[in-house]
Amino acid sequence: MKRISFIVLFSLIITGLTFCEDPLPKEKLSAGKILEKVDNVINAPIDQELKVKLVLIDKKGKEKENELTMYQKGFDKRLVKFTKPAEKKDIGFLSLPDDIMYLYLPAFKKIRRIASHVKNSKFAGTDFTYEDMEAKRFSDTWIPSLKNETEEQYILELTLKEGMKSEYFKLIMYVRKDNSYPVKIEYYDKGKNLIKIQTRAKLNKVGDYWISEETTMQDLKVKHSTKMIILESKFDNKLSDDVFTKRNLER
Amino acid sequence: MQKFSWVIIKLRVLIIIFVILITGLLIFSLKGLKINPDIISYLPKTDNDVKLFDYIGEEYKGNSLAMVAIESDDIFDLETIKSINILTNKFKVLPGVSYVTSLTNVLDIKKLEDGFEIGKLIDEFNLPKNPEDIKNLKQYTLSKDMYRGRIVSENSTATLIVCRLNDNVDKVDTARKIKQLVQEEGLKQKVYYGGIPFQMIDINKIITSDLILLVPLIILLIIVSLLFAFRSFRGVVLPILTVVIANIWTLGIMSALGIPLTVISNLIPIILIAVGSAYSIHVIHLFKEKVKDENNKINQSIEALSNIAIPVLLTGVTTMGGFLAFVFGSYLTMIREFGIFSCLGVFFSLFLSITFIPALLTFFPVRKKQIKEKENASFFINMMDLIGSFILKRERLIIFIGLILVIIGIIGIPSVKRRVDMLDYFKPGSSIRLTEELLEKKFGGSIPIQVIVEGDILDPEVLNEMKGMEDFLTTLDDVHNPQSIVELIEEMNDMMGEGKKIPDSRMKVDNLWFLIEGEDILEQLVNDDKSEALIQATITNVDTERMKYLVGQIDEYVKSHNSSVVTFSQTGMPLIYQNLDNSIMKSQLQSLIIAICLIFICLLLMNKSIKRALVGLIPIGFTLVIILGFMGFTKIPLDIATVLVGSISIGIGIDYSIHFMNRFKEERKRYPNELHALDKTLETTGKAIIINVITVTLGFLILLFANLIPLRRFGILIAITMISSGIGAITLLPAAILIITKNGTKNNQSPKVKRITEDEEITEDEEIEVSVLK
Repeated sequence: MKRISFIVLFSLIITGLTFCEDPLPKEKLSAGKILEKVDNVINAPIDQELKVKLVLIDKKGKEKENELTMYQKGFDKRLVKFTKPAEKKDIGFLSLPDDIMYLYLPAFKKIRRIASHVKNSKFAGTDFTYEDMEAKRFSDTWIPSLKNETEEQYILELTLKEGMKSEYFKLIMYVRKDNSYPVKIEYYDKGKNLIKIQTRAKLNKVGDYWISEETTMQDLKVKHSTKMIILESKFDNKLSDDVFTKRNLER
Repeated sequence: MQKFSWVIIKLRVLIIIFVILITGLLIFSLKGLKINPDIISYLPKTDNDVKLFDYIGEEYKGNSLAMVAIESDDIFDLETIKSINILTNKFKVLPGVSYVTSLTNVLDIKKLEDGFEIGKLIDEFNLPKNPEDIKNLKQYTLSKDMYRGRIVSENSTATLIVCRLNDNVDKVDTARKIKQLVQEEGLKQKVYYGGIPFQMIDINKIITSDLILLVPLIILLIIVSLLFAFRSFRGVVLPILTVVIANIWTLGIMSALGIPLTVISNLIPIILIAVGSAYSIHVIHLFKEKVKDENNKINQSIEALSNIAIPVLLTGVTTMGGFLAFVFGSYLTMIREFGIFSCLGVFFSLFLSITFIPALLTFFPVRKKQIKEKENASFFINMMDLIGSFILKRERLIIFIGLILVIIGIIGIPSVKRRVDMLDYFKPGSSIRLTEELLEKKFGGSIPIQVIVEGDILDPEVLNEMKGMEDFLTTLDDVHNPQSIVELIEEMNDMMGEGKKIPDSRMKVDNLWFLIEGEDILEQLVNDDKSEALIQATITNVDTERMKYLVGQIDEYVKSHNSSVVTFSQTGMPLIYQNLDNSIMKSQLQSLIIAICLIFICLLLMNKSIKRALVGLIPIGFTLVIILGFMGFTKIPLDIATVLVGSISIGIGIDYSIHFMNRFKEERKRYPNELHALDKTLETTGKAIIINVITVTLGFLILLFANLIPLRRFGILIAITMISSGIGAITLLPAAILIITKNGTKNNQSPKVKRITEDEEITEDEEIEVSVLK
């Protein structure tokens, strides 16, 4: 299930789309303002179609690769289909509004409804947690403060808002000044240990959007990391609602 | 010897400086002395079963599980669940802990009306809020095999929080931090700590506290008996100084070589104090006897040293032989280390006694005779006369009694049990034992038994074979909770609407696998390539025979089910215990044979007669039978510590025979027949033997205060050995000598053997005898 949630939500993190966002102005910005801009940057387009390669790297450096295609419309309609490796081919997920999720297993030729409440633990095989993937604005959960500033980056420290729940104690976020893109996030656990680092590399502009073509999440505790590589991306193709149906899931 | 002694005495200043320098140097090294509480680490790396066990411990992380068990009337209660959640979260963020499995954090696959849910058993952000929630949770949890008897006991009175520690972290330190977090939480429920990391904390503590308690006690005891024997400053301080320096050197070298103390080698200081003090006592005693003239001190010292060096060396070498017997062919490396370093320690005591002590003694003023000692001495002489006349008049009776004891001993031998399980080291009521009892009662034991499965694990045929193996394991009493990926796959298959069984195609298994791939728990069940899996079960703490039976049963199943598709192999503690058990028998026999051979060679060199050498072995042979018989009757098992007793007792116990036979040889030159010579020997050496037996016996009885059970058993057995070999040497030995040399000697001679010594030149203040070999 962790896997499933991950599949459904991960697009938000990998694309990190910079939509219609101007470079941050030269004058001093408040930490709140910077985070707001970050949130605006990390916003999905109307729809998207992505081909993604997932590389899971264990501590011995051994790699495992998966490939999948994902269709997404708005925030709450997604269809994911695995294409590689052979034993995962055609496994699919359909996510619809109101947390309705379906799983299709080709070997069984059956669709099952699935549910999940897991938020705080590692996704199977990958180093992202459900929480890392949530389609939430950072400013809803975290209070930012400007910790440091370099020529090119703002360094924000995010601490938890009262009443909010998170697996993390704090985040350190490195934001590019020119496009408000968060290029690196460090995650600290409640024991104040740095446990994970996310880096978004190979920024590229596709149409109107900035995209990180290689996002890595490193788990420092178990020395495992996950690389997500965008192989192909199409945005705003006016995907039909018919894509997001159970029938299409089976096909 | 004359030349050796001359060199020692001439170089005395150099020797003293050398000893002080080395000691100072090694005191620094002593600080780094480590304790290794990890018993597993001493299993021999060459044994294939151990290799497999280590491999599994590392590959599937079994050796680094720290378990916290919580016990209460019913753990399904709001408060307890809340505490478990808090602790789980705290453990999770501890550096060194890689993940935690608990009620609030365990993988759960829940069937829903039109689908299923994969998640945690309890949502930590949505804990049960009312009795109704709790009731449902309890019902659900206990209904699933994956939790019942594993994470929650069947009657829900106990639950486990299992922390898996990272590789390359200080396990003891991490376990301590876990314990501290639990204590800070201030739970009302009873808490137990299980698993190797926690056991290591306890073993550390036990080794340290045993040393802190026992070493001062035994030093005190030796001081008291030395005071009684010598009544002088040098007579007390010098032997103590010798053993202290010998200990510093031995432990200092261990530390410098990075060899830690273990549950066995913490015996070394105690043995060195009890055994090592004897050598310097002999030297000091002879100096007292021989060095009488302040002006001629140096020459007399050389004379005294050349007299005493050989017998002291001889007894030292035989003792070293007893320890060396462990170096060859011991199964546990910690026993080999024990053998090497005890031997080294004895060597140091020996070395110091014939170099450093004589060197120091030359700087002490010559002693005046003390009147008091005379009374003391004459009391002993009278007592020895009494004993002597009885022994020498009734040699046949003595041999007869000896034979009866031997027969009784032999009757007892077959019932000697062997115990190899490590839990047996700890006294009842100790936290390790209490935790074990809880785990046994509530979770079917904590002794791991594992079957490695090789094959294409996701192939339904292999999975079905695994299931067959698990079903078979379940039929064995004492084997509990077999667990593997089979259940997970069956459960998911059920969720897909195809029933709780293994899917019928490889594709289906692959599809299901996708759903759980990368879950923490899988690391404990299957390897990365899915070419190998583990079936884990636990076994209750049964005796060695029963374990052997179980191992045999499983082995048979393994043999009959291995095929081209799947290969099973068994591992786990029972198999290791079986090897350990076999090796204990083997190393017992082997070390005994080596020790007896070494000692026989010594006796042969000394007596130059096979017959006499064999006679010299009588007290030791007698002692071995008595000890084994005693173990049979009192149910003291052969374990990793008591297995040491045989060779050590030969090495130490033979000293009495050596002293006795040497003195006898000397006296025989002076007296017309065996009877007189024996009487004289009994009166001098016999007395010394009795004093030594009492001191060393009391010394080893101190081990009865030890926390580790094997040390206690070792103490009592060595004590009996000392008594038996001492008494054997002053009764059986003279009796046997009389019988073999008797050609009517006794009849021709007057049986009146009292006070032949009246005309003797031996000084009467000789309260501690040494064999006065020339």
